[in-house]
Amino acid sequence: MKSPTPVIQIENLIYAYGRAEAVRNLSLTVEPGRCYGFFGRNGAGKTTTIKCLLNLLRPQSGQVRVFGLDPARQEVEVKRLLSYVPDQVAFYPWMSVRETLDYLASFRAHWNRQTEQELLERFQLDPAQRTGNLSKGQRTQVALVAAVCPETDLLVLDEPTSGLDPIVRREFIEAVIGAYQQGVPGKRTILVSTHLISEFEGLIDEFTLIDHGRAVLTLDADQARERYQKIRARFAQPPSDIDLKTALRVRRDGRELELIANGSGPELMKRLREHNPESLTTESLTLEEIFVATLKS
Amino acid sequence: MILQINFKSGMPIYLQIVDQVRAAAASGALRPGEALPSIRPLAEELRVNRNTIAKAYTELESQGVIETLPGRGCFLKENQSALRKKVRRELLVEHIDQVVVQAHHLQVPRDEFLELIRERLNVLDDKRRAHEDHKEAPKED
Repeated sequence: MKSPTPVIQIENLIYAYGRAEAVRNLSLTVEPGRCYGFFGRNGAGKTTTIKCLLNLLRPQSGQVRVFGLDPARQEVEVKRLLSYVPDQVAFYPWMSVRETLDYLASFRAHWNRQTEQELLERFQLDPAQRTGNLSKGQRTQVALVAAVCPETDLLVLDEPTSGLDPIVRREFIEAVIGAYQQGVPGKRTILVSTHLISEFEGLIDEFTLIDHGRAVLTLDADQARERYQKIRARFAQPPSDIDLKTALRVRRDGRELELIANGSGPELMKRLREHNPESLTTESLTLEEIFVATLKS
Repeated sequence: MILQINFKSGMPIYLQIVDQVRAAAASGALRPGEALPSIRPLAEELRVNRNTIAKAYTELESQGVIETLPGRGCFLKENQSALRKKVRRELLVEHIDQVVVQAHHLQVPRDEFLELIRERLNVLDDKRRAHEDHKEAPKED
């Protein structure tokens, strides 16, 4: 069986602002129906990459495909198939929420009025309110309504929850799960770029960690949590001759040891056990902890 | 039945859901014929991918734990006695293993450990008996 066309395929993408290289040789593939995390610090190159998908920037080298199409040549087709919540949401400030949504709907072949109504109620947005008077959180909510109602096959979220309060962040994610993921399984694909990883943790199927424009780590989320472990051991005497070279990071404090392992957890546990620890515990790293461990080592 | 996801357990999320539903069935928190939460609200509440919940329910269905009635949702199947016994044992083994490991770390010898278990069983038996006696006692008041 031929595997389906990836929703997003980026190969060796390079983009520089003048001499400042923002994206250096980035490759990633997002399969249909997945929720794909695109993690990186501020300035890592996430937004630049996303802009290349939307033809807001042209790749200087490498190739970008969305549903197998070239965003630079088939911009309208690509934009028909996706919706986008940018990191900075801007509307015409004199328009009301109602007028803004009608205006945005006029560009779309399809618009689910029932979903729109449900989301407006859920977010307690007043349709008569001028968008210029909305809070940052409310503007993001309007942007999400506008992104969900066309029921496109791809939803691109660029740092959607930065700068929002915790309640709004939660509601945002719940709405993405409830309203956007509502569709046919395998047809709703999400690309979410963020550095606020923990709140998206349960949503992410697979992720790429980008740093200084390069992909440093691409993994399935369940596999990542299985591979990355934190091991704590305490001994009767400070241990001296244990080989811990395969650990990603080692912290020592007297008789205690804390290790971060990437795949070498079972082997390290065996080695620690040979020294008869008084206690030995292990837990998985969350995606956020993996992010920190990878970028700080 | 309240489910909880732990990202630090190292276990795939859908398997955590499968295990917790099986445990709920074994403990009686979920009774035969009772409905499981629908996918959408559960996904929102746990803030996990809908596909993950769907995958967990598919797995539970293939294990014969739940059944899907079209248009009505998922329900715990009747006749779970075999499963209940098996799951109960599995759950208990998990806890016992933790205690055994702990005993090893604390360097409690095997005989002493087994003796301690016997002792605790007796203590708890006595407590339960005292409690039952107490319940019958008020008649004398």
